[in-house]
Amino acid sequence: MAPAKTRPIQKFSEATAKCSAQAAAYGKCIVADYNSVHKDKCVNEFIKLKDCYLRASKK
Amino acid sequence: MSGCARSLFPAGRCLSSSRQLPISTFNRRAFAVQSGGAPRFQVFNRRTKWLQKERTALNPEESRVADYLKDEVASRLTERLLRRAVAVKKLTNRLTRQDIKRHFPKVLDLGANSCNIARALVRKNPDPDPDLPASPPLVTRISELVAADSSEGLLYRDADHDFNKQINIIRQVLDDEESLPFEPNSFDLVMSSLSLHWINDLPGVLTQINSILKEDCPFIGAMLGGDTLFELRTSLQLAEQERRGGISPHVSPLADVKDVGGLLQKAGFKMLTVDIDDIIVDYPDSFALMQDLQAMGEGNAILGREMGPISRDVLLASEGIYRELHGNPDGSIPATFRIIYMIGWRESATQIKPLARGSGDINLKDILEQK
Repeated sequence: MAPAKTRPIQKFSEATAKCSAQAAAYGKCIVADYNSVHKDKCVNEFIKLKDCYLRASKK
Repeated sequence: MSGCARSLFPAGRCLSSSRQLPISTFNRRAFAVQSGGAPRFQVFNRRTKWLQKERTALNPEESRVADYLKDEVASRLTERLLRRAVAVKKLTNRLTRQDIKRHFPKVLDLGANSCNIARALVRKNPDPDPDLPASPPLVTRISELVAADSSEGLLYRDADHDFNKQINIIRQVLDDEESLPFEPNSFDLVMSSLSLHWINDLPGVLTQINSILKEDCPFIGAMLGGDTLFELRTSLQLAEQERRGGISPHVSPLADVKDVGGLLQKAGFKMLTVDIDDIIVDYPDSFALMQDLQAMGEGNAILGREMGPISRDVLLASEGIYRELHGNPDGSIPATFRIIYMIGWRESATQIKPLARGSGDINLKDILEQK
């Protein structure tokens, strides 16, 4: 039997797990006032999170 | 004005009268009646749901692993066949076991998924109690179980497992779970576990269940409702709101506990019991939760949802929010499944009925004060 393929979501999940600090910072920014969330409210935190994720997923 | 509004004259005739009404408020309909042949309110795409179930059945290993919720709910649901015995025991402090002496010749499991109810029925010693000897499996009180589901793959997934030999089970693939192909008065018990929350026309299906039951026979059902997956719902909403500036439905609208009693009553059931149970499952991250939901065949099937996968940006954002807003101290994340259990009995002349109002001759206050 062929080895089981790694699903994209698993790779995604592993890469995201390496960015817990950035994810927490982003989460805190949203949760600080979640009744008035608008587009790009936490864009700076998100860019940091995404950069981290992109770096982690390339390794 | 009222005479005009109520009259059955055509609109033009009425408008020519002395007092004119603006057209927009002009309404000649006296009663709110649904016109014949009107489409039912559609929320879920039944075909998508069918496809999702068939797909999970293609990967039986993963699907079996993700059956933990359905197996747990099925066993809690079948426990309700014992429930009355337990209550009586507590009251009288006597060993009365299996007070429902009733035997169920023909039982329907509507929306059987992978026959989780059948598996729960053959469990050994379903009522573990150190004071009592082991009780026989519930299946001894059932002659025939009809397991019906629209997904053939999922229904037959475990058809070669051992539990099939211990129970007289007939699998029946339904074309559509919303129109039941059974004769009226043909079942002694109808059960349904974690399927009703995908039904578009819940009042209609409950009415059909009521009619296929024999007189004085129960329907016992469990469905997801209320605050189920509120953590996932809120984090995806916040993430989409922040990343994309708008939201699309990802978690189904669900019936609330307070609606279910009314629904059962409307369908003609008597002696209702509705209760809820929260099952909270911890996951390592929100992706594990989503993968498991998919493997359960419980993916999103709302009509009018955004097609295609959720974008990675939103997934990334929602993971951070989920953990921050709802996460456990140990780093895992909780997911709440609120199960609504309902029991209703088909009406019968021999059933106990509430006495007429004002017919009581004992004052409850006296009894309570004596205590």
